[in-house]
Amino acid sequence: MAEQVGAESLRSYEAINAKIKKGNAVVLTAEEFVGYVESHGMKAAMREVDVVTTGTFGAMCGSGAFLNFGHSEPPIKMFRCWLNDVPAYKGIAAVDAYLGATAMSETRGFDYGGGHVIQELTERKEVELRAEAYGTDCYPRKSIETTITIDDLNQAILVNPRNAYERYNAATNSTDRVLYTYMGTLLPNFGNVTYSGAGQLSPLYKDKSFETIGIGTRIFLGGAVGYVIGEGTQHCPQNQFGTIMVRGDLKKMKPKYLQGATFHGYGTTLYVGVGIPIPLINERVAETASVPDEKIVTDLVDYGVPSRNRPSLRKVTYAELKSGKVSVNDKSVNASPLSSYKYAREIAEVLKQWIQEGSFLLSRPAELVPNYREVKPLETRKYEPRVRDVMTSKIIAAKISYDLKSAANLLVEHNIDHLPITDEENRLIGIVTSWDIAKAVAEGKKNLSEVMTKKVITAREGDAIDIVSRRLSQYNISGMPVVDDGNHVIGMVTTDDIAKLFKR
Amino acid sequence: MTDLKLKLVYRHETTSKPILSETVLKTRIPINILDAKVTPSAGEMIVDVPASGDKLKEVISSFQVSAVIVKEITPTLEFDLDKCTSCGACVSPCPVQCIKQKKDWTIEFDEVKCVQCGICVDACPVKAIAFL
Repeated sequence: MAEQVGAESLRSYEAINAKIKKGNAVVLTAEEFVGYVESHGMKAAMREVDVVTTGTFGAMCGSGAFLNFGHSEPPIKMFRCWLNDVPAYKGIAAVDAYLGATAMSETRGFDYGGGHVIQELTERKEVELRAEAYGTDCYPRKSIETTITIDDLNQAILVNPRNAYERYNAATNSTDRVLYTYMGTLLPNFGNVTYSGAGQLSPLYKDKSFETIGIGTRIFLGGAVGYVIGEGTQHCPQNQFGTIMVRGDLKKMKPKYLQGATFHGYGTTLYVGVGIPIPLINERVAETASVPDEKIVTDLVDYGVPSRNRPSLRKVTYAELKSGKVSVNDKSVNASPLSSYKYAREIAEVLKQWIQEGSFLLSRPAELVPNYREVKPLETRKYEPRVRDVMTSKIIAAKISYDLKSAANLLVEHNIDHLPITDEENRLIGIVTSWDIAKAVAEGKKNLSEVMTKKVITAREGDAIDIVSRRLSQYNISGMPVVDDGNHVIGMVTTDDIAKLFKR
Repeated sequence: MTDLKLKLVYRHETTSKPILSETVLKTRIPINILDAKVTPSAGEMIVDVPASGDKLKEVISSFQVSAVIVKEITPTLEFDLDKCTSCGACVSPCPVQCIKQKKDWTIEFDEVKCVQCGICVDACPVKAIAFL
């Protein structure tokens, strides 16, 4: 019969803690353990080693802190509040707030957000607190402006609903422009690859069947002791996209392991340091703790596709990613991480020291994090207009053989600004605008082929309006042909068409 | 020999002339184009000149005679290694690969190769890279 999940058949938590107290527990970082298994074999390694420590230091948007400010005189029931101009959630008790990592400053925008405020609190810096209220019999005050430091607060508790992704997609960009994403800066035409996660040091990957991690697991969080308080949001362990929810005392955390950050063009976040001790309680746990970068696989995803279902170009291992070169479509491309492997190593090392010193004991979880969870998408049940709902289906196009005058006539006759140019089978080969024609006349050009733009930005009839209007503004154009699978022109969509939609 | 980087600004009238090629032929210095862009009003190039002393002066005056504005590029990017977390977000976006991670993952910046495009300044999540 198969052993139960979480079975302590190799050693119990009590036995491990007894060794820690005596100072003779054998603790290795996950990186060291990978090497130890390679040199000494799995059997010896799991017999000798009690605990494997892990670490990761990366951008974790699912982070934030509960703060209790204490009561002012006269008291206030804060309805809205800001810390250094960053709005905090006030839908809870009178002087409690939740400051989220991705909330952005109303005055400084992308440069400063909740993550930065959290870092400055740990640095014990003064933070401006501003709040508004509607005034009640019990809470008469209607506004307050003051400064606080973390030491003034009754509680400052980091509660992160989604941290420490087991692994993450690697990212690249097929489009012809630079993309600024939560996966960092992605150069055009598969110009680079970025990735996140610590691979063989990744806390959740090292117990990928979730046999030791659960509610009450004591961990390293932001430089202090913290706890796992359950599965994280969007937890999907069966695909190695497990996440955890964690909490810890912000007052004890260190700014080095909790850093506010900005991803250019995307927004603010918080880099969080997380380290989890994995007790080698049974053979399966020891097996997963020994998995090297060469066997940790993820998808290389094209972030040039602005969709929920971004295509995977290929599978790639963390070993290949960490080598700094990844082959994409037979081209060798530079790869670099977004999360700090240097800090991940340090965190695993610090946690190892804490355990060796006897100051950190392991805890048996009250309930394990589930090892299966379905992740469902958000369906848009209200009908949202698509290109086919706004486009002009009457096709007015020119052939390449037309001279400028007949092209100009077409534009005038139909009162349009964009003229697609098609071949005999109505396939798109170029486009001219009324401006192109005016310019061509000024420069004394005669033929359409000299004037037309050959690389045409197009739309598909099923494209969402938001995507198309973003494309129009990105390329600074006012219209584009709508084409089908065979590149046949089936209509035109312009900024005017989209504007009409909003006027209705 | 020390390489020197120059920024060459061409006015609209001179963008169509082969001034760089003529300079290479005349001085026999293998000038390398690192970056070039042409806008409706001017052209701008960043070049690497593997020369010094009189040879360098000869290259510079060859451009100046043809009405190209020449500016020497001195290092202007600064990496604040106290702020830097060695995450690597600046490394692969660099178009000339002048930022590398060492074996211990700390950042190494080769200012000689840098063309000061500034993409790393934006890419750094903790604002550890700045123009001086």
